[in-house]
Parts: sequence; structure tokens; C-alpha cells
Amino acid sequence: MKKILPFIESETSGKSYKTHKYCFDGIDMPNLIYDDNQELTFKKYGETEKLSSTRPLLEKAKEIQKFSKPIFRFFLDGSRRTYKVDDMAYDNRVYPVIAGQIGVGCCERDDKGNLKNKLVEHQLVLSLPENASKDNKKDLFFNNLVEKVNENEFLKSRNLKFHKILDYQDKQLQVGEKYENLGIAKIQDEMVEQEKKIVSFLAQKNLLNEDAFLLKDGSLEYKTMKTGDFKDLSIIKSNYKCVVGVSKSFNPEKCSDKRGQSNAKKIAELGLYHRTPAYMFESFVARGKKGTVKFAIWYVRIRDAKYTSSPFEGIIKVEKILVSEDEQEYGLDSREIDMISAHLINERNPVCYGKDNRWANHLYPVFLTESFIKSKYLSNQYFINLF
Amino acid sequence: MNNVIGKVAATEKNPTTIDDFYFWTSKNMILSPFDVIKVNHINESITFGVIEEISHITDTASYLTSYISNDFGDLSIKPNTQRIGMNYVRAKVIGNTKNIYIPLRDGEAVNLANAIEIKQALGLDKIKNPLVCGYLEMYESAGEDKKVSLPIHFNSDFLIGPEGAHLNISGISGLASKTSYAMFLLKSIQHKYLNHEDETNSDVAFVLLNVKGKDLLAIDEPNNELTKSDYEIYDNLGLDDKPFSNTKYFYPYSDNSISNTYANKREIESQLELDKAYKYKYIFEWDKDNLDLLFSNVDDPTQTMDSIINYIISEQGNFGNIRNWEQFRNEVDEHCKPGSSKDKEITVSSWRKFKRIVNKSTKNNPIFAPRASEQDREVRMQNAIKSIRKNDVFVVDIAKLDEGLQSFVFGDVMRAVYDLKLGQFEDVDEKDIPSKIIIFIDELNKYASSDVPKNSPILKQLIDIAERGRSLGIVLFSAEQFKSVIHDRVKGNCSTHAFGRTNEIEISKSDYRFVPSVYKNMMTRLKQGEYIIQNPIFRSLLNVKFPKPLYKQFK
Repeated sequence: MKKILPFIESETSGKSYKTHKYCFDGIDMPNLIYDDNQELTFKKYGETEKLSSTRPLLEKAKEIQKFSKPIFRFFLDGSRRTYKVDDMAYDNRVYPVIAGQIGVGCCERDDKGNLKNKLVEHQLVLSLPENASKDNKKDLFFNNLVEKVNENEFLKSRNLKFHKILDYQDKQLQVGEKYENLGIAKIQDEMVEQEKKIVSFLAQKNLLNEDAFLLKDGSLEYKTMKTGDFKDLSIIKSNYKCVVGVSKSFNPEKCSDKRGQSNAKKIAELGLYHRTPAYMFESFVARGKKGTVKFAIWYVRIRDAKYTSSPFEGIIKVEKILVSEDEQEYGLDSREIDMISAHLINERNPVCYGKDNRWANHLYPVFLTESFIKSKYLSNQYFINLF
Repeated sequence: MNNVIGKVAATEKNPTTIDDFYFWTSKNMILSPFDVIKVNHINESITFGVIEEISHITDTASYLTSYISNDFGDLSIKPNTQRIGMNYVRAKVIGNTKNIYIPLRDGEAVNLANAIEIKQALGLDKIKNPLVCGYLEMYESAGEDKKVSLPIHFNSDFLIGPEGAHLNISGISGLASKTSYAMFLLKSIQHKYLNHEDETNSDVAFVLLNVKGKDLLAIDEPNNELTKSDYEIYDNLGLDDKPFSNTKYFYPYSDNSISNTYANKREIESQLELDKAYKYKYIFEWDKDNLDLLFSNVDDPTQTMDSIINYIISEQGNFGNIRNWEQFRNEVDEHCKPGSSKDKEITVSSWRKFKRIVNKSTKNNPIFAPRASEQDREVRMQNAIKSIRKNDVFVVDIAKLDEGLQSFVFGDVMRAVYDLKLGQFEDVDEKDIPSKIIIFIDELNKYASSDVPKNSPILKQLIDIAERGRSLGIVLFSAEQFKSVIHDRVKGNCSTHAFGRTNEIEISKSDYRFVPSVYKNMMTRLKQGEYIIQNPIFRSLLNVKFPKPLYKQFK
């Protein structure tokens, strides 16, 4: 029984160097530290009221807790774990072979506050350079390759299947650029695709409504892709009426005011249980057939700064896609923003202090969803030794 | 009925082993220690386990996390999301249907068992010579459809011989109902023999010592406080609902000035009229051989008391001519006079010590009398024991006697039973002697604690019964508050142990080292009418219950 790499080596007519296999987690990954990747300039208000200062929401949060049920019912998170499993030579160049496990999951919270799994996707993927296919029809080639790989007795006997073999671009590398990162980015894209698929599923089943929002971990700004069923956010944005994206970590330096000055200080000094005014953000990354996608973006402080180790800890960045014409024109209704923020403030407890260093920014149901997805992963040792 | 309650979890730190395993279950699933669960194992076998420990965990990393989760100590916080949490349970493997004892596999479903499976699991399904010893309730809180209640049986060969004998019951007075449990077992034994359910052709008689109030002084009269549900329990256990039969009561003789019993005159008289009560007395001429029993709690390192007793029993000096206690005391007085010592080996001061102890018990107490009149239903204890026949229940009242006299009577009863079983009484036909005689004594610590002087004749007698009684057909049912103080050779020879409610200090003693810590803690919380039983035929400790007594209770 051949393991996977010798099989791919022969199928792609490459040369495997049988290099050291390792997991990328815990290794410095440029560009992937922050959940968001937006250059924000607050030129326009993203809400109906023109707030001149931050708004305190503790009272509202208390009132909501007393008189109504939590609005967030579904929690979505995606994560991926990537591995370098080999170096493979095609012609005179040597490319890394990247493998990954993708986990995307959605949990539902019942009325008693218990979280249950709603949907989960655990996929194994491989990322090869596009010129692993020596012919022009590379899509066909990689589709065939994954089927052949899955026919492998070695995998069959373990009841495992690879979902896809992704191809990363073979191009002249810029300074600081690495093939590894190109491969990982492909796997990241695939994960995002799965996230979008789940949102689409929930929206189509009418599970998302005014009383049942979805809270998604991380930014909602999905760049437009070349392929995939959900490649264009501008087309599928109606799925996101009741979806809120919450980023734990954001780059405060990338957020500037009208005059181009950094907003970092204002955010850092945000009062406890206050929110900033919401700003409108027009994403060109997510521009699609129906034009750009607009977002309302604001920040909420959910933990007292005196307990956190940096002023940005305890602040979450909230995004909501502006779906209707009115919203795109005038911004999101300020009452809705207050309401969402108040509900988010109510999500502050319990905390995952002691389990996750990002506890101050983490929301517990999201943390649980993340833990759940990670529990589905094959162990690193096991996975690496498939190759 | 879906009985799956969780799944086996084998982790790096807590693997499943031959002996035990862990499984997780919902935090709302109510289970108790001693509940039996079943798990499918390889080769289509089923492994049974008994729950030993239940823990609840959440993903809270530390107490600090919990504090922080309430906005740094705000008591009014009610979070939207419940912390993820579950219970994990440690269970001990008690058997496998195909005797496969390799560790259970991770992820196997854990099920509640039904009554038949529970019996099989605990080894209760193929018990020979069954003798009901209580009932077991399981999954009490898991819902009516899952609740299991089933009678538990000893193999009587392991309780009253010949395979194993003697029962020891321990527990705090007033909270453990030791007497009630012993009486329940005795009732069960009498029921079995009266109804000829025993296959071994043996028969049994009982000698009970009443040590507290009027506790056992009306065991043939019904308990009017029982409710319908109490009778139903007896019915389910296969026992009749009548109190003891063939009962005879033996009261220490009292006169008008001194009463030796807590029973009132009217009660005794009505029993006398019904031919079921006697008054016992001690006559010097016949009972002087038992004088040593008066000294069972007296430290006698130089054995001078022994020498004096020998002196008297061997009828040295004038002791050969003495007929009654009065003369005996006078003779002792003689020896106490200065310069009157006829025997140089025993000093006057020893005689004086002897006199003090003898006088304390025998002087002024009407049970030490010149003669016993049969017409007035007066008997000597030894003669009474000689007359015991199969299925008889003799209750000897010693409750109101002082401690020294209690020992004296108890020692005498034991000696008489021992002599009877050894065939020492020529006037008793061997075929009339019951093949088994069960003696029940409460407060065993008075006679067999590890502090009792080594030369105590009662301790020697008890050890003898504990070690040889099984083959002779003398079975000791004993009870005490704290098992840890009982002499090792006495408790060590008991085949069956019943643990009732006890306290923290007691469970920290070495006697309880073999008991899992959760069971130990349970012992401090047991309700009245609940016992933890250890018997050689049971695969593990059992938590049994028993119904309220059928005989009259005095409050």
C-alpha cells in the first residue's frame, strides 16, 4: 500500500524529496495575525444617526437581558490547520506540498443556553502548485487526481477521504513572498468557501431571522473569488441580512478618520460597554458583478481596560453587510446597531480565561464552536503520517 | 426504551483498565454510587460496571475564570450561554458475560441495565440457599420506567454456616438501625426455616440479648405503625408479615425493692400468663463456676483475681461447704480480715479487691438468690439454654443490669450455648439440640473491643465462637457503633459485614481502607434502613435497604 506522497509523485511525474513534515500552526505567518485585513477610512457614517461621541449601552444590555431572549442563536466559525508535508520538484523548481484540515462548524444555542452542533464540515485538502498538472486542463486533472488519491487503499482502510486538491499559482515570487503562503492561502480560501456555504444553507432554510441571528467569528469581507459556488459576495449578500461578523483582533492602525489620521487612540479609549459610531466601509476586495459591497463597522468594548493587558483587548470589531438599498444609502438603523451591540455585550460572559489568551476579546459561544471544530481534527501526528 | 446514558472515554491520563473505566454522561442524568451499568464489549459480550464516583466538569480553567466570567465578581450576572459541562463517571468492572476482562474500548455506549441484568452483574442470579437480606433500588431518579427494585439474597451457607458464618453490623446508634437490621435478617432466617425452605436439613434457634430499653421485649407482637406500603415490601421480598414466633423472654429476677428490667410489671405478668416469660436467677451452688465472668473487665496483670476464683471453684478453705451467696460473701469477708489470711499466696488486699467487685454485683441484687422456683417460672440461665429447641427465639433481657452484670449474663449465655453444642450436658438428648444457634448481641464493643483485658473470659469465649463457631453451629450476630475498636480476631472471622451510617472519624480508620472513597462518604450519609453489605458471594459491596420491623416498637 502506497502512502499518499509516493502516489502523487508518480501521478504528477514529480520528484519527492521526502522532507521533514510539520504543522504550520505556531509558526510565524505574515498577514494572518489579524482577523481583518481592511484599510478603513471613516469617511461616512454607516448608521442613520450621526453620533458625535461613543454611546453607552450597559443599561440597554441589562434591559434586553431582563425582558427578551438573546438574539444570537447560531454561531459560525471556521478554522484550518496546515502542514508542510513535502517538497516536490517539477522541472527545475521545487515546490512545497501543503496539506490541510479544514473545519467549519455552526452551533445552535437553545433556549436554556446550551450549545448544540447544527452543521459541521471537516475536510482534508491538499495544495499543490498548478504546474503539477502538465497539461492545460488543470481543473480536470486535479479533480481526477483527488479521485485517484481517494481510491488509495491506504486511505480507504482508514475511512478517510480528501475533499479537494487545490492548486496554487506558480509565479515569480516577490520579495518576502513564499510558495508556502500561496498554498496556505488556497486552503484558507477553501475554508471561507465552506463558511459561505453554511450561511447560505441557514438562510435558505429560513433559520435566520430577526430573532435568530448568526454570529460569525471574524470578518465578513470575503474577497471575490475566481471559482466556487459562492465566489461573489455582492450576489450572495442577501444571505447576510441576519449575520454579524465579530473580529477579536484587528489592526487599529489600519483605521483612520476623515483626515487620514489614525483612529487608534479613540478606539483604545472607548469606555466600558460603549460603542463607537458605525462607519460605512466600501469593500473593493469584495467587488463583484453587482458592484462593491458596503459594510457598517463599529467597535464595542466588552471588558474593562483595567483588567486587560493592552488597551485594544476587550474591544471587538463588529461588521454587518448593508443589504438593502436604503441601508447602502443611509447606513444601518442606529437602533439596530445599539441592539446588536447590547446583545454582544450580553455575550461577554462566561469567559474562556485560562484556555485562550484572547479571552478578553473572545465570545464564549464562538470559543465553544471553535473548540468543537478543533475536536473534529485528526491529530497532527496521525495526519502527517498519512503522507 | 432507550437506555444509553453515555459513552466510555479512554484518555491518556485515565485509560480504561481491567478494573475500571470512565464514561461521560449528561450533567442532568441522575445516577448514584452502586448503580449498575452495562457496556458492550468485544465478541458480543457485555461488561458490567458499578458506579463509584461521579464528577462534574466544565471548561472553566480555574476558579479565577469563573470569577472573571461574572464580570469580576458581580453576583447578579446571568450569562446567555451555559458553560459546556458534563458529568464523568468512574465505574468499577464487576463482570463480563464471557469472562473477557481486557479494557473496554473508547466510545462504547453505556447503558442502564434491567433487573435481570443487574442480578447477573452482581452475581445474584444463581444464589443457592437464598436468604433474603434486603432489597436494592437502582436508578431511583432516572424516571419511573427505568427504576429498578429487586430483592437481594445471601447464600445462607455463607451467613450462618457451614461455609462462612457470623455477621457484624456497625453504625451510629439511633441513625443506623443496627438492631432493626439484625432482627430483619433473623426474621428472614426464621421464616426460611419455619417454612422448610432450607434444603440442608438443618434447623436453627436464636438467643437474643436485649441491651437497650424494651427494644426486644415484644418481638412476637405486631408493629401497629406499619403502613400498607411496608407490608408490600415484605410481600415483594417473599416474607410473611408476622412478627417472630416461638418466642420466650427471660427477665432478670426482680423483687419489690429492686427492678432489674425496663419492662413494667403488667407487661411481664401478661407474658408470664401466656407461658412465654421466665425470670432468671443465679444460684451459688451451680453458678459459682461463672464467677470469673464478673471479672471480665477488670485488669488483672498479676492474676490474683484468677487465683482467688480458682481457690473458690476448687473449694479450698471453707468454700466447699457454702450453699448460697450470703454465706459466700461472709466467707470472703473472713479472708479480708487482717491477719486472717489462711493462704499465704493471696494477700488480704487482693481478697478485699475481690470482695469489692463481688459485692458490687451480687450484694443487694435479687438475681443472686438462694434458689429458683420452677412453679414461679424462675429458672437458671444455663438450664433455660439447655431447653432451647429448633426455631425457638430466646430473648434475654440484660438492659437494666449494670455493666459488670451484663457481661456476667452474656458470658453465661455464651458458655451455656457452647456447652450445649459441645454436648456437655448429659441430660439433653443430642437430637433435640438445634443444629445452629444464632446469638445476637448489641454493643459488642463492651465485650470484644481491643481495649478489653487480654485475659477477659468473655473475650476468649467470643474469639472461640468467632473462630470455631462456624463448625460447631454457633453463629454470632453482633453489632457495635464503631467497628474499628473491635478485636481483630472477632471481626476478622465474620463472613458478612453490614455498614450503616457512621462518621468521618470512623471511615478514616484502617478497617475501611478497602472501601472506595465515595462509598466511604456515602457511609456518613446513609439513611435509616440503608446498609452497605459485604458478603463473600457478592462481587462488590451492595447498598441494600430493608423494611421497618414487624414487631412492636417502643419509643
